[in-house]
Amino acid sequence: MKVEIIELGDRAAKFVLSGVAPAFVNSIRRAMLAEVPTLAIDYVNIYDNTSVLFDEQLALRLGLIPLITDLDSYVLPSECSCGGEGCSQCQVSLTLSAEGPKTVYSTELVSADPSVMPAEVVPLIKLSERHRISLEAIARLGTGHDHAKWQAGIACGYKNVPKITISDECDACGMCVDACPRGVLVIADDVVKVVDERACSLCRLCEGVCELNKIYDVIKVGTHPDSFIVTAETDGSIPIRELITRSAENISDRAEALDGYLSVIDMEMEMDHHAT
Amino acid sequence: MIPVRCFTCGKVISGAWEEYKKRTKLEDPAKVLDDLGISRYCCRRMMLTHVELVDESSPYY
Ligand SMILES: [Zn+2]
Ligand SMILES: [Zn+2]
Repeated sequence: MKVEIIELGDRAAKFVLSGVAPAFVNSIRRAMLAEVPTLAIDYVNIYDNTSVLFDEQLALRLGLIPLITDLDSYVLPSECSCGGEGCSQCQVSLTLSAEGPKTVYSTELVSADPSVMPAEVVPLIKLSERHRISLEAIARLGTGHDHAKWQAGIACGYKNVPKITISDECDACGMCVDACPRGVLVIADDVVKVVDERACSLCRLCEGVCELNKIYDVIKVGTHPDSFIVTAETDGSIPIRELITRSAENISDRAEALDGYLSVIDMEMEMDHHAT
Repeated sequence: MIPVRCFTCGKVISGAWEEYKKRTKLEDPAKVLDDLGISRYCCRRMMLTHVELVDESSPYY
């Protein structure tokens, strides 16, 4: 397996994974979306709400705020020593009270743990005269399996690395160059050249417009079957680097667990065999 | 109120709404969206198609 990083920012990354099976890349994608936990508001005590939004709508908006999460200092409620009752290891309390006229932003939430803060300035609700909200919110760790608000990865996807081949029969008519929406092809020195192969979206418009393609295989859009361009982004709750490494760790942990189960089954089958 | 996240991909887009609303009075929406880093068309339609209704209903609450 080979990794080549194309872009690596704080929140977004793009890299090429080569020498792997499609199933492996897909498992990375799925782990980024649904397995890596983050904190999100999960329970809200509303003491006062005279705003235009119902309590439920307000609670939904609160839940969708990305919270900066230190995954080393929190555990999932189901794995916590408190047995899921709720303690400082598995939940954080945030309070909010505001009176109109004003727009209330996510940054006005007061957190019991200063390291847990909204990662984005989200306008929560616009209050008019006399409108008030007062609430306490409980944030817990969770995974994308249970609700999209716990999904740290956004728009994680991959495509095969494109491979465009142009044969000698090409008469450089330029039809394919004009047809390509990504500007992948150019004409230089009377021959069609590929300038940015990875930008190709595999739409194959170039194949369709080529007149000579009806007789020979002049231009062909194919793929490298074991190389993938992976793009991933986070909602700001954890850095993209951490999301990728944790999703890889998650896969290896689950593979190890599966190995454990299989060896137990193996052992039992062997014991059955001896008994009979 | 503008939805907190994009319905499709989950990107938090609500933070860009106020600037978008202000700037599109004079500027081209496409350019403003590019500037605000809203690149995917799923997120762009969140802004383009949003109708703000809080101000309409708030006098009656
Ligand atoms: Zn606990
Ligand atoms: Zn989107």
